[in-house]
Amino acid sequence: MRLLERLRGKKPSKESEKKKKGTSNYAYAVTRVRAMKSNLLPKESYPRLLNMGIDEITRFIQESEYKNDVDELAMKYSGGDLAEHALNRNLALTHDKLGRITSGELNYLITAYLKRYEILSIKTLLRGKLYNASVEEILEFLIASGQFTYTFLSELAAKATYQEVVESLKKTEYYPLLQKFDGTNLADIENELDKMYYSSLFEAIGEPKSKDRKLFTRIVRLEVDVKNLSNLFRLKKAGVEQYDDIMSLMIEGGIELKPAKLASLPYDEFVNALQKTQYWDAISDVTDLDMASLTILESKFTRYYLESATTFSHASPLSIVPVMDYIIHKNNEVNNLRIIFRGKETGLDDNLIKEQLVVI
Amino acid sequence: MVEAATVAAAAPIFGDAGLKALGAAIAIAGTGIASAWAEKDIGSAAIGAMAENEALFGKGLILTVIPETIVIFGLVVALLVSS
Repeated sequence: MRLLERLRGKKPSKESEKKKKGTSNYAYAVTRVRAMKSNLLPKESYPRLLNMGIDEITRFIQESEYKNDVDELAMKYSGGDLAEHALNRNLALTHDKLGRITSGELNYLITAYLKRYEILSIKTLLRGKLYNASVEEILEFLIASGQFTYTFLSELAAKATYQEVVESLKKTEYYPLLQKFDGTNLADIENELDKMYYSSLFEAIGEPKSKDRKLFTRIVRLEVDVKNLSNLFRLKKAGVEQYDDIMSLMIEGGIELKPAKLASLPYDEFVNALQKTQYWDAISDVTDLDMASLTILESKFTRYYLESATTFSHASPLSIVPVMDYIIHKNNEVNNLRIIFRGKETGLDDNLIKEQLVVI
Repeated sequence: MVEAATVAAAAPIFGDAGLKALGAAIAIAGTGIASAWAEKDIGSAAIGAMAENEALFGKGLILTVIPETIVIFGLVVALLVSS
């Protein structure tokens, strides 16, 4: 099928186009990624994890896929910090591995997708520096994916002020935006970074023609919708009704959701309008939407997003979609583990922790 | 001139034997290329799976050589044609 599409399609003319296409060797990369996905924690292990203490969880993690990371970092950290650093390190190494085992078009798209972690690190650094967090605290939340190495990020974390951090990022594409940061508009800059990320991702995908590109775009657009939806719920619950305030937080490019229409509606009408969309299926079993906590709604949306990605990955087995499916499931696993041990550390009730988990 | 003419007369390419040989060659070449094409993707997928989990070596090997049957059919046809 792909060969036919390649024969039918025009030959790449520009040099960059050639780099994008290349030979991706989907069979190799996708099978390897599928084998990696089978190593993710099964859903049966979460109830067991909930019954454990922090040290037991760390040991459990040490016996799983995260063994190397825990062993490596055990000298430096202990308890919850050890688990946190091990998870971050593992996530960064997984992304690095995905970069190594893929090539051509696949590699190009994954690199574009994983730029979100660069942005996440920049946000963490700026936020940390603005509120005078210690270097250790900042390091706990940095994920060294993409073009930033862990050494580079820890150098940035050691800088004294946010101005120095921004200056050190001079050579990156984020610099023009970061220059506008003056210490008071952090929220705006963060939103702008997100919007910049999505627009550059859509640019990298281009006009989707083949089936797998269309599915890939669909996953990204679904994510945009899920994010917008969560934000809308938060804003509506908080009583924000101003159209401009809401629209400045919305990301463009969703599939079905029309933030411009939903923004000005009051909460009841907003919920009614949602009934016409596909997302209603995800939350229809929540009995009392007025009373339901945002945590439950958000984990339902995340679950819907993860399940859709898996469905799409079956529709196009030899393409970027199964790789995407793995990336988001891996991310979800790391999030779940983090929720469990941070929850345990702060002494949250088990039921409360359970509500936040998205177990597929 | 005379010699070349006798050789051509003895074994003409488009004579019965020549066509049989050509048929056998096409059968082998076609099926050979076909099984190579099929094995290419299965082989690289098997290597990918094996890199993550070495226990899959046996299964990977078997799946990789399954398209080999195509070229065996080609061989059978080639033998039948040329015999």
